Amino acid sequence: MWDAFISLMINILLFIYDLMGRNFGLAIILFTILIRLVMYPLTARQVKSSKAMQEMQESEEWQKIQKKYKDDREKLAQKQMEYYQEKGISPFGSCLPLLLQFPIIIGLYQAIIRSLAVTPIQLVNLSKHISDGANLIPINSQFLWMELSEPERLHVFGYGIPILAILVVITSYVQTKMVSTGAPGGDSGGQGAQMTQAMSLYMPFFMGYLALTFASGLALYFIASNLTTIIQYLLLGQGDLKNILPSRS
Amino acid sequence: MKKTTILIITLILLALTASGCSGRRITTSGWPGLTVHEDLAYLASGPHVYAVNLANGTLKWQFPAEQQREMTFYAPPAVLNEDQLIVAGYDDILHSINPENGKENWSYDGPKDRLIAEPLVTDQAIFVTSADHYLYAVDHQGNQLWEPFETEEPIWAAPVWSKDCECVVIASMDHRVYAVNPETGTEIWRTEDLGGPIVSKPAISDDGILYVSTFNNEIIAMDVETLRVRWRFTTADWAWAAPVIDGEQLYVSDLAGNFYALDRSAGEQLWVLNPGGRIVSAPLVMGENVYFGTDQGSLVVASSEGAIQRSQDLTGKVYTSPDGSQDVFLVAPTEHDDLLLAFDENGAQLWNFSPSDD
Repeated sequence: MWDAFISLMINILLFIYDLMGRNFGLAIILFTILIRLVMYPLTARQVKSSKAMQEMQESEEWQKIQKKYKDDREKLAQKQMEYYQEKGISPFGSCLPLLLQFPIIIGLYQAIIRSLAVTPIQLVNLSKHISDGANLIPINSQFLWMELSEPERLHVFGYGIPILAILVVITSYVQTKMVSTGAPGGDSGGQGAQMTQAMSLYMPFFMGYLALTFASGLALYFIASNLTTIIQYLLLGQGDLKNILPSRS
Repeated sequence: MKKTTILIITLILLALTASGCSGRRITTSGWPGLTVHEDLAYLASGPHVYAVNLANGTLKWQFPAEQQREMTFYAPPAVLNEDQLIVAGYDDILHSINPENGKENWSYDGPKDRLIAEPLVTDQAIFVTSADHYLYAVDHQGNQLWEPFETEEPIWAAPVWSKDCECVVIASMDHRVYAVNPETGTEIWRTEDLGGPIVSKPAISDDGILYVSTFNNEIIAMDVETLRVRWRFTTADWAWAAPVIDGEQLYVSDLAGNFYALDRSAGEQLWVLNPGGRIVSAPLVMGENVYFGTDQGSLVVASSEGAIQRSQDLTGKVYTSPDGSQDVFLVAPTEHDDLLLAFDENGAQLWNFSPSDD
């Protein structure tokens, strides 16, 4: 089942690669945007639910309930469910779409990595997935100054600058910041908010580390995915760009 | 403003720190390369090339003695003479090793990408192909002889010698086969587009016919002198493994797991076997039998008439062409506990080799 899904993703990616004049960099960007567009309804639902949860956290009514039942967790949970029902909020509304996106994102990542077959064993594995793509082999993995199957460095005056990794850190930071400002408790200063803040700081560096050490095709995917998500969030009226930069303390 | 400054400084530091890294690729993987010569088996497998005694499977030496980052080997080593074993690396470097003690004689770092196939050695020179699209030639001391010969796509196939044109013949993933002057590196001829990438070396018969397997699901036979296509045989899937000549028969295979014997003059199928699993390695013809492996771990011994003499199931996959001498038959399985297995002519296991440090 999973293999069939990966095969489908690989064949779509290679179809786009062929359409794009055998430019794998453009194929990655276009495929990522397409996948993100397909997942747009899920993203929109997730954002809507996050917003509702955030509004709930900020509402006086809910804060009163929390205060009233702060020593009775069972009762608080019951009241919380009642509140959800009353306001029409789905408690899984923000995380379920996110969970549904995971297999697609992992499939996309797998499709990119498996298509960049630059050794015999990788090509043997790829051949199991492609139905009629012999003429697309070998995949042209050059894109601008990058060799997409290798970590990227732009050499300037003898120094290899990891441009993509830096862009991944920046776009991941902006994206996680936008998502976290919309998340429940994102700006409320509670324990959840502290975790969200820590994640919005560490996650971009983690993504940057991956971009630094893994094939640059993956970094290109991160950037395309982050930028698409940022645009989607802006279109959904989620996230204020003013909140992106750390505020004065 | 303080936090912004810290963020910017952190990013700059990150960039500067990262710029010190080499940026070298980290994905290197392949299947072992095996060559048997006299009383030794040379096995190129991952971080080392091993010299293993055929008699008992003990290690004579390994190169490099200590594992080195980025040094990986998968191409079958080529024996030049009693002083030099030539090894092509995924580190883009051609190494000459002393077969007596495993010490390096010299190395040649001209290529810019992986050396995937075994080098061709002649009395005058050593020829090696690279995934950087080029054919390189060096003398026996590792000095480059001429400007590398370029094709349009990576070359994964080993160069072969044609006595018809006294030249080096290479097959490229650009769908063509080329003949190159061994003294000047200039092109003598090139074939038409053969319809699909070629990743295995062509076979050239004594009567001047060139056989090639392509990813266009075809085996093609051509006259070396005129480049006229004699016949095309359609396979069920990509033809990956190199064709092997056995008298008037030609053994070929495909990724659908079919192992064919063809009449090599007419291109007609004589018989076909499908033991299950994909076939990527060329078979070994030894005595009256032909030996081949599949990626389901089957090791098949068939007679030249197509009767299966024996089929052994190994755990792992058999991607490497089997090799052997008169009384020992060797298999280097992938995804197996051992790197090398030795069998006698009846299929009884004689020994297994697994290096202690890997």
